[in-house]
Amino acid sequence: MYRRNLRLLVAALSVMVFAFAGAALAQETEPVEEEAFGTPVLIVSVGQSAGAQQAKVLAIKAGLDYVFEQRPDLSLLEEKQTLILVMGASSKGLGAAGVDIEGEIAWATDLVARARELEMTVIAMHIEGGSRRGPTSDQIITALTPLADYIVVKGANPDIEWTESEEANANADGLFDTIAAEHEIAIAYIAKTLDGVGVLIDLFGIEATE
Amino acid sequence: MALRRTHHLALLILALVLIAIPAIQNLADVPLSHDIRPGYGVTDVRWLSDYFPPLRDTPGDTPVYILEGEQPGGVFLLLGGTHANEIAGIMAATLVVERAVASQGTVIVIPHANNSAAKHNSGTYNANSPQWFELTSASGEVRSFRYGDRRTQPEDQQPDPSVFVHFPSGIEFAGDEARNLNRNHPGKADGTLTQQISYALFQLVESENVNVLVDMHESSLSSSLAHTLVCHPRALEVGAFAILDLEIGGISLKQEASRQEYYGLSHREFGDRTSALAFLIESPNPGQEAGELAPDVVSDPRAPLSDRVHLQLATVQAILSNHRLLEGERFSIAFSFPFDLDELIGADLGAFFR
Repeated sequence: MYRRNLRLLVAALSVMVFAFAGAALAQETEPVEEEAFGTPVLIVSVGQSAGAQQAKVLAIKAGLDYVFEQRPDLSLLEEKQTLILVMGASSKGLGAAGVDIEGEIAWATDLVARARELEMTVIAMHIEGGSRRGPTSDQIITALTPLADYIVVKGANPDIEWTESEEANANADGLFDTIAAEHEIAIAYIAKTLDGVGVLIDLFGIEATE
Repeated sequence: MALRRTHHLALLILALVLIAIPAIQNLADVPLSHDIRPGYGVTDVRWLSDYFPPLRDTPGDTPVYILEGEQPGGVFLLLGGTHANEIAGIMAATLVVERAVASQGTVIVIPHANNSAAKHNSGTYNANSPQWFELTSASGEVRSFRYGDRRTQPEDQQPDPSVFVHFPSGIEFAGDEARNLNRNHPGKADGTLTQQISYALFQLVESENVNVLVDMHESSLSSSLAHTLVCHPRALEVGAFAILDLEIGGISLKQEASRQEYYGLSHREFGDRTSALAFLIESPNPGQEAGELAPDVVSDPRAPLSDRVHLQLATVQAILSNHRLLEGERFSIAFSFPFDLDELIGADLGAFFR
């Protein structure tokens, strides 16, 4: 019930963020009709790439109340309102964490399941662009993104011409569009990673400080 | 009588030759010199052997340029030439020495971290890559710079072991990696020349209390490493801030974390063993592309040297500005050029040198 209402909310919230070369950030955001996503937020990495660090930077710049833990124990979900999964595989990172990709996906799936028990919102983020797509990253994306309530992807909106480099486009094959459509998940497309700040401000109803 | 005189003459010549050979060898061991012209911002010039005297009079010794800012702050070490064929780092460091002025903190620049490697190019990646490259300065002077090798020269450190065992981890590498400075960190005081170069760098970092260290590298155009910023785990946050700032400025870099198993590499070892935040930047170099028949390491439109130098220096500036943001003014390090760095993009690089 909670998830259905949330999906209605985010379906009404259409966030399209554009970044033009040399220009300041510009975004079109429909006003949030109901309560924004809740805080505090737990930001985690699925795949152990550096993207989670970049998401942390977005949270700092947005003024978000967050906790960052690269690969937390499920207990860290307690007393959090939103879980942000930052997806991106680093083979070296997985090795360092002592897990393989199947183990990583199993851990993240358990994390989401526990988040659901706690009635948390789940956001799936992929913000490192096309260079963080590949067989291993795609395993994570296809497994975890359908479990989310909201998607943030650095990549092309199918209705808008992509003006950044192809390497920066994580949605060149429309993978995220397909998942979003099949599972009725709202999706925000960003052209530059820093555009994610505006998305977070909108989603969490943060008041601008300047 | 004549035969005896001839015999004495032969002995005299032999004696002179025996004296001359060591003298000639000593001349050959003198550290290699480069065309680097310290500018107004350089407040001191030292040698790496100042930090580790056994390196003196060896091919591993190399100039260390100091740019001291008027305002106190942190200390920054900029390394070029760990791999002497990766010339964007060398030229970026050289440009700092020749044209930059520090306003806050101390900037320490070593354009040729492995000065032995700079002697000549063995063609490790591409047999057609050059031995020299030229830039024409604004005054029309043609300046020549060496295009060196990835590793310490064999004549300066031989023979290679069959297997190189990294000290102190015990991890094994191919034998010729014993001459790769970026597999030898943290080095060893009584080790090989390459280990001693590394050891000297660590002595420098410790004695100068370096807060930030950037090691500038290049990879082939097609390598997944190209356009990457590798960050020690303690440096990931600064790196992430820098990555996002750079993207706004039109530079797209991947961020990778230095992993535990990267034994011997600068970003791992300096980050683990010193208090410095350690980074490594990779730009793409056509000279390292295996299939190139006649690699143009200066003007290849896919990756001109001016753009690669811009990438390196813009990343350095983004790292330092975000280090200042996150660590506070007390550790701030700042230097600038008398031109906007973006002027390097697509420009004639030589025009920016003295």
